[in-house]
Amino acid sequence: MSIDPGPLTAAPPEEVQRAQTERLLEAWKQPTGWRYWSAVNNSVVGLWYVAMTFFFLLFGGVLALLMRLQLARPNNDFLSADLYNQAFTVHGSVMMFLFAIPIFEAIAVMFLPQMLGARELPFPRLSAFGFWCFLLGGIFLCGSIFFDAAPRGGWFMYPPLTSKYQSGIGADIWLLGFSFIEIAAIAAAVEIIIGALKTRPPGMRINLIPLYIWYVLVAAAMILFAFPPLIAGSLLLEVERAFHWPFFDPAGGGDPLLWQHLFWLFGHPEVYIIFLPSVALMAMIVPTFAQRPIVGYGWIVLAAVGIGFLSFGLWVHHMFTTGLPGISLGLFSAASEAVAIPTGVQIFCFIATLAAGRTVRSVPMLYAFGSLVIFVLGGLTGVMVAVAPFNFQAHDTFFVVAHLHYVLIGGALFPILAGCYYFFPLINGKKLSDKLGKIAFWLAFTGFNVAFLPMHLTGLRGMPRRVFTYQAGLGFDALNLVSTVGAFILAAGLAIVFWDMVRPKKKQSYSERNPWNAGTLEWTQEMPGKPWGMRSIPEIDSRYPLWEQPNFLRDVDEGRFYLADAEEGKRESILTSVIDARPEQCLRLPGPTFITLWAALTMGGFFIFGTFSLWWPSLLSLLASLAIIIYWLWTETALIPEKAEKDVGLGLKLPLYLSGPESAGWWAMFITMLAVLTAFISLVFGYFFFWTVRADFPPDPVPGPGHFWPLVAALLLLGAWAQTVLARRWNRNDHASAFYTGLLLGSILAIAGGAALLAGPWVTELDPTSHVYPATVWILVTWTTFQILIGVIMQLYCIARRVAGRMTARYDIDIRNVALYWHFTAFTAVVTVAVIAGFPLVA
Amino acid sequence: MTGGAIVIWIAVIALAIHAFRARPGSHSGRHANYLILGGGAIVPTIVLTALLIYGLAPIPALLAPAPEGSLKIAVSGEQWWWRVRYETSDADAVVLANEIHLPVGEPVEFRLESPDVIHSFWIPALGGKVDMIPGRVNRLSLTPTKIGVFRGACAEYCGTSHALMSFYVRVEEKAAFDRWLMRQRATALPPSTPLAKRGQASFLANGCGACHAIRGTPADGVVGPDLTHVGSRLSIGAGILPNKPKAFVHWIARTDQAKPGVLMPAFGMLPKADIEALAVYLEGLR
Amino acid sequence: MSETAEKDQSLWLLTASPTFWAAHFLLCYITAAIWCAKVVGLGGSLASARVAIAVYTVLALAGIGIVGRVGYRRHSHGNATLPHDDDTPEDRHRFLGFATLLLSALSAVAVIYAGLVIFFFRSCY
Repeated sequence: MSIDPGPLTAAPPEEVQRAQTERLLEAWKQPTGWRYWSAVNNSVVGLWYVAMTFFFLLFGGVLALLMRLQLARPNNDFLSADLYNQAFTVHGSVMMFLFAIPIFEAIAVMFLPQMLGARELPFPRLSAFGFWCFLLGGIFLCGSIFFDAAPRGGWFMYPPLTSKYQSGIGADIWLLGFSFIEIAAIAAAVEIIIGALKTRPPGMRINLIPLYIWYVLVAAAMILFAFPPLIAGSLLLEVERAFHWPFFDPAGGGDPLLWQHLFWLFGHPEVYIIFLPSVALMAMIVPTFAQRPIVGYGWIVLAAVGIGFLSFGLWVHHMFTTGLPGISLGLFSAASEAVAIPTGVQIFCFIATLAAGRTVRSVPMLYAFGSLVIFVLGGLTGVMVAVAPFNFQAHDTFFVVAHLHYVLIGGALFPILAGCYYFFPLINGKKLSDKLGKIAFWLAFTGFNVAFLPMHLTGLRGMPRRVFTYQAGLGFDALNLVSTVGAFILAAGLAIVFWDMVRPKKKQSYSERNPWNAGTLEWTQEMPGKPWGMRSIPEIDSRYPLWEQPNFLRDVDEGRFYLADAEEGKRESILTSVIDARPEQCLRLPGPTFITLWAALTMGGFFIFGTFSLWWPSLLSLLASLAIIIYWLWTETALIPEKAEKDVGLGLKLPLYLSGPESAGWWAMFITMLAVLTAFISLVFGYFFFWTVRADFPPDPVPGPGHFWPLVAALLLLGAWAQTVLARRWNRNDHASAFYTGLLLGSILAIAGGAALLAGPWVTELDPTSHVYPATVWILVTWTTFQILIGVIMQLYCIARRVAGRMTARYDIDIRNVALYWHFTAFTAVVTVAVIAGFPLVA
Repeated sequence: MTGGAIVIWIAVIALAIHAFRARPGSHSGRHANYLILGGGAIVPTIVLTALLIYGLAPIPALLAPAPEGSLKIAVSGEQWWWRVRYETSDADAVVLANEIHLPVGEPVEFRLESPDVIHSFWIPALGGKVDMIPGRVNRLSLTPTKIGVFRGACAEYCGTSHALMSFYVRVEEKAAFDRWLMRQRATALPPSTPLAKRGQASFLANGCGACHAIRGTPADGVVGPDLTHVGSRLSIGAGILPNKPKAFVHWIARTDQAKPGVLMPAFGMLPKADIEALAVYLEGLR
Repeated sequence: MSETAEKDQSLWLLTASPTFWAAHFLLCYITAAIWCAKVVGLGGSLASARVAIAVYTVLALAGIGIVGRVGYRRHSHGNATLPHDDDTPEDRHRFLGFATLLLSALSAVAVIYAGLVIFFFRSCY
């Protein structure tokens, strides 16, 4: 039924093919020796990423075993109270921030190119940068426990415990270290979203994309809205710790509950950000072993998108015992029950697929089945915990510990292990051992249930969470001992999996191609894989091209599809349209570089020096980082191609340069700014939260910032925005002098506007340490000014680009992206002014 | 609810095993679609709707305040003990610590607060937990129905010794409760034995009164727990040690070992005899 | 054919019904929170807030109904049945319609769940 172009009817002559593969190999050659670490390919970086997340899993797991040893007997003194508290804080934080989220992003950036038949995702260097940030932040955090300096406030970091009652740098390490890692997570989310929407192979319409892509698309979009509230919250808490602005201190008019809102606004969606990409692996594995297409494709899309939304309506169910009005509990109870519907739908899609198919027994299916058994129980206890009266009992007890491990280990770890056994041949061409896989499964499955099933009862009998010990004779003793034994059996199972992955496989022969007889695109990979990904980029007509498109492998291998060559010796891939994957652009991709590492190191310096309150080195690091990033952008982005168009094969000519909404970079800016805007809105939420809970917010009479300066600021900043938008047009019309003067004027207006914004609270002498009202005004103003400052740098950058001839009327990516940035900045400035100057009038 | 969850769990697993073993062709694609629509969408929606209604219905009653004139007890969670204030109508409040007595069958309203970090007040046998949040006052109303001694604990992680922040609740007949409250309101009994007298002297001489109050003596500190009738309690150290002279000795001499991170300094440098006298004195404050 | 052209399609339609749910949910929560904190205080009557929530619920359901109808029309465009997996603009059109329809159904259930609170809560405790 396809109406798209087909592959070449005859293969190119053999010597042509050989020359093509040589050129492709040259263009995609991996750096060797110590330069290996300058690689930026998503497949290579993805592998480092996965390896590091498993390392952190191991680290968090060892901490868990230490805790289980401590809890094996009542009144045990194996770990001190303080060390235990560090251990559970680091365990939770590591598993969430350094394992569960990153492994989803790692697997996604590693396999997305293959699943999409793309040579590469659009921003390989961004992924490499994200990886280095993650590595640096992760080591910094984990290392702190060896110096007895680790955070000890729980992974949820509730103030005022973490703001006023814990000296030492533990809390700062958590706040700054994780903010740094969250930047990496957002970078990966940008890469994944644009990858999923824009780098699909030609013809892979939105109704044909692999289910994995649907899931990671939703999960990555959720990151954009879930992480910024935590970044905003971390900013407030760190500012309170460092400069005593009393956001969470009731003595200064603050309220500890604001942190809980911001934290759980992140924390609950986060569970689903972990869960969705893991079920996504199941959605790839189940059809392969059922040997038929998935049943209920549309239903799974419903589940993924539905969960993506509903999971943002659950955050307060972590706060049912904080004394909120009953009607609020009711609303969040309702959403918590509703989210179970889409969650259940996908499980039935898998069952239906198995029922309708010819199921093949295999190790990945064994893990998938274990996942189902564990996760369904976790889901059911989740539904129970959402019932408020039951929650009042179960909350903060071992019942919840059991529940969350059933959800996360059943819903994430087991699918990931299934994925390891399934996808491993794609990594080095060799399968993992079936025998070890089965032994490991039964150990892990048994051990898990022995460890965590009794915890339901321990909790219902009244054992609170996060206790370093308990007294004998309260009915906890035997249950805890059983849990400890189970934890070690589980650990033994996981140790075998790790061994299976790292054991030397020199003697083992390569797996045959597509060893599981799967239908999806990633299995076109040769064993072992080539650095170029796909020999030629195929035209897709089906959800399962390897099953349903005749001679598919032959056509790909013989270069009968698109981009079978690298004539100019450059790395290239195809960008396509969002809905129907029409080819739109031939995208040139950057090669190996160390600059991403330098950018991450200096950016890390900003956060790490900040942890120790070394403000000057911290600021210098930030400036160095800024300089490096500008150099990176200047030398490697928005390059003007040597020709306008390129023949990509099959008679298709594609432009080499697009700007504005047609380009990947514009969308990356848009998506990033959505995340920035969400963080800003979280701060605005803080303002109105204080207004709701405090009678004296804003105080009467209002001490500042007045109306004059904020209004002046708004006018100047709107002027700066208008100048930037006009400059974009003047550039397009090639009015060089108008462009230069306009943009220069724009940057002057922006600087003046930023200064006027700061002048408001300054001249009215608002002291941010005195009360939460001035502190909130100052934080909004500071945030906006910072955004303006970046905007000014961007404006000057555009002027320099045009002067240097790197931007022209036609090749205008830079100014178009900067104009987009300024749309968001103008909006931010207007909201800030409306809130700080306008709202006190209304209130 | 638990039973229902277990039934659903077993049903889903059985279905999955059946699907796994089913012969190809025994279920058509159409059947499979009905399975998703019925089993994945319609049945769960019905079950969840019922569960939601079942879960919402009792909330208003659980959150409603105790009737006018009920016993009011203010409890303040502090790192890592409980300040308990009986706010009786006929006289001044009585400030106690780490133990609560309740009359059986009578509604009581707890006013829960905290001066330092977030704690959570929880007596598993009597009701749900409610957080104690600095800057806020939360309420918890309940009516104990059974006579007995129950254990309560802090359920929100509140720092180093969060695990060592418990208390006991004794639910008793109204008459017994009234007698108890009257005794608690009274000032401390003067020490009767020479050892206890030495203990009191040591208590006052070593500055214990700067933090602790013993009503009827010059000791009137408010930082730490009120000790006026500490000897009458079921435990010491917020539910962690038995109320025995030996436990007092351990507590006074090695406070930081008994409760890591505790604000009270250890008094192990005092002569052993002084510590033992203190223990006898305090244990005798019934 | 023009009805199924790519330029007239977007993924935003998928998100329309869940967005109605999100708006409804937030409005209910904010209304209740401000009403209890700023207007009547602890223990006050929820009367007007409940009316407001009822109105939001009706409006949200109406919006979701319209989106769901559009989804259904697209799903049944021409004469083809599930699973909408052909490599044609028509099947892509039907698929997006089907997903929109399912999401509308889910959003409607979630909105009704949230609206149920007005039958259970009468005061700000």
